[in-house]
Amino acid sequence: MRRLSLSSRLALLFAACTAVVSLFAGVLFSRASEAHFIELDQQLLDGKLIGLRRALQDVQPAQREARLADELSRQADLALRITGSDGQRWYDSSTQIPTELPKQSGLSTISHDGADYRVLNAPLYPDKSDTPQLTLLLDITHHQHFLQRMQHLIWLTVGLSALATALLGAWAARSGLRPLRRMSAVARGISAQSLNARLPEAQMPPELAEMAHSFNAMLGRLDDSFQRLSAFSADIAHELRTPLSNLLTHTQVTLTRPRPLEDYREALHSNLEELQWMAQLVNDMLYLAKADHGLLMPKREALELADESDVLLEFFAPLAEDAGVTLSRQGHARIKGDRSMLRRALSNLLDNALRFTPVAGSVRLSIDDKPHAVQVSVENSGEEISAELLPRLFDRFYRADPARQEGSSEHAGLGLAITQSIVRAHGGQIHCESATGWTRFVIELPKGA
Amino acid sequence: MKLLIVEDQPKTGHYLRQGLTEAGFNTELVADGNSGQQLALSGDYALLILDVMLPGRSGWQILNAVRSAGLDTPVLFLTAKDAVEDRVHGLELGADDYLVKPFAFSELLARVRSLLRRGSAAPQETSLQLADLRLDLIRRRVERSGQRIDLTAKEFALLEMLLRRQGEVLPKSLIASQVWDMNFDSDTNVIEVAIRRLRLKIDDDFPNKLIHTVRGMGYVLEERPA
Repeated sequence: MRRLSLSSRLALLFAACTAVVSLFAGVLFSRASEAHFIELDQQLLDGKLIGLRRALQDVQPAQREARLADELSRQADLALRITGSDGQRWYDSSTQIPTELPKQSGLSTISHDGADYRVLNAPLYPDKSDTPQLTLLLDITHHQHFLQRMQHLIWLTVGLSALATALLGAWAARSGLRPLRRMSAVARGISAQSLNARLPEAQMPPELAEMAHSFNAMLGRLDDSFQRLSAFSADIAHELRTPLSNLLTHTQVTLTRPRPLEDYREALHSNLEELQWMAQLVNDMLYLAKADHGLLMPKREALELADESDVLLEFFAPLAEDAGVTLSRQGHARIKGDRSMLRRALSNLLDNALRFTPVAGSVRLSIDDKPHAVQVSVENSGEEISAELLPRLFDRFYRADPARQEGSSEHAGLGLAITQSIVRAHGGQIHCESATGWTRFVIELPKGA
Repeated sequence: MKLLIVEDQPKTGHYLRQGLTEAGFNTELVADGNSGQQLALSGDYALLILDVMLPGRSGWQILNAVRSAGLDTPVLFLTAKDAVEDRVHGLELGADDYLVKPFAFSELLARVRSLLRRGSAAPQETSLQLADLRLDLIRRRVERSGQRIDLTAKEFALLEMLLRRQGEVLPKSLIASQVWDMNFDSDTNVIEVAIRRLRLKIDDDFPNKLIHTVRGMGYVLEERPA
């Protein structure tokens, strides 16, 4: 089922509130008027009762009837019934009086033949136990009509005011929600080509400013990822173009005329190098694609990072000795992870560090066992990497050294991206920090389960 | 020693057969799953090289049939997809090894040799030798022309591998995996440096060189006529 729109919901809520308030006021008013009428009737009947008692008690029996009629004639809507103590009906002032009347003493209200009566029962002689009963009936039909009309009026007011507030509320809600519609208009206009559109945060009401801010931040992240992604495809094409054009040219040139056998061999060898480079590139990209699709599923072997690091340092020892760089490791920690993947991640960092360390420099691998995480850092002495380049280091095909030509080196610039993917697949984080004279890559791996 | 290749891509199949035949193996090639399975079940082969995606019958099905028939012929898979499930599936079914395309032929050759060697128990050697180079496995000593050469532990392991597989072109990835236990693609040039340092000790002072670079493929230890 479709949910109600926000404006309709607000309008309905406004209407319901108004209805409840006006209904409450109406009911209160109508109760108060009714109570007031009862009070008036009580006073009137009490007054009449005194007059009637006097008429019945003081006067000679012969004159009683005349006094009674006189007393009753002053109030046209009043009727009287006198009942004996044995329940026998003695006197009815009018033929309209219903036969059955309430017996309890005091004031009550009855309805008979479309007319309403207030009935007061009282003894003729209040101080005697065996006494005839006086029953006064006051016709209050016109009161009741008035009350009914008022009730109708109340219902009408309730309905009309609810309707009015619903309409006004809908209008108010619509104009109040205008910034939201503006937001949705911006969202509608966004496509891959216009990810740079932003909401004007300053013009938003405070309640929406935060949402607008999050919305803008989301757009920013999307824009950034999209830029990287499109740059990635462009980079792939670019990276492959150089070796492909080498292959094409070299093969075509070789085939243009007959050559000595040695030339063919040379051509094939050269092609082989380009092809191997391309195969490595494709394999690395497949690895990254797999990581992007969440298919990189690390095993959870119990590993002693110190041992793994030492194996890697031993692996890189010839390279370090050749470059005149000292390699060292400090600290140890146990962790659950994928041996082969973590070795690959660290080997990329070590390889990278060795490449940028000057002669007589040093590469230090430190393992820091923290309460909830293990921190592994690879630090090398050497030139500082400027702060704005640091986050870009993990971008695919990014090379800190712009002088290096694409396709001409063994390194495609995917090593750090792969390391990052592996670390993330382990639920960890990696970042790089650099200052004068040193650069450090820091991996944080959660200890987890 | 007969090998069976089941591969439906004509070019790949052709080059695989040519390469393996020239490496000294008696090789047969079929292009579809059904005839591949028929041949595989004959039990005449020392090794099966199977593509996963095949017309008629997949590589998995062939492997299944072979294992159900009680044959323990080693099976090497060639796959285009490097999906984890594929790998797990293959190993569960009893595949011995797998290679993901694109792969280097030298890598395939090295793995084929490893698989074939696995069956025949290698005799317990106490020393390995090529020309005047001698490696004493018990005393862990290396001599060339009677001259003692000092090697680090890893250099010793590297030389031992080269000697055990002399005449075979060993790709860098295989060396990294066997000597250093680094089982991943890496574009580092550690192996080049390690080989260079080994050469410095083994070959540099002697006229006939034993360690040779096969450009674009790897390294080989063999005696070549001057």
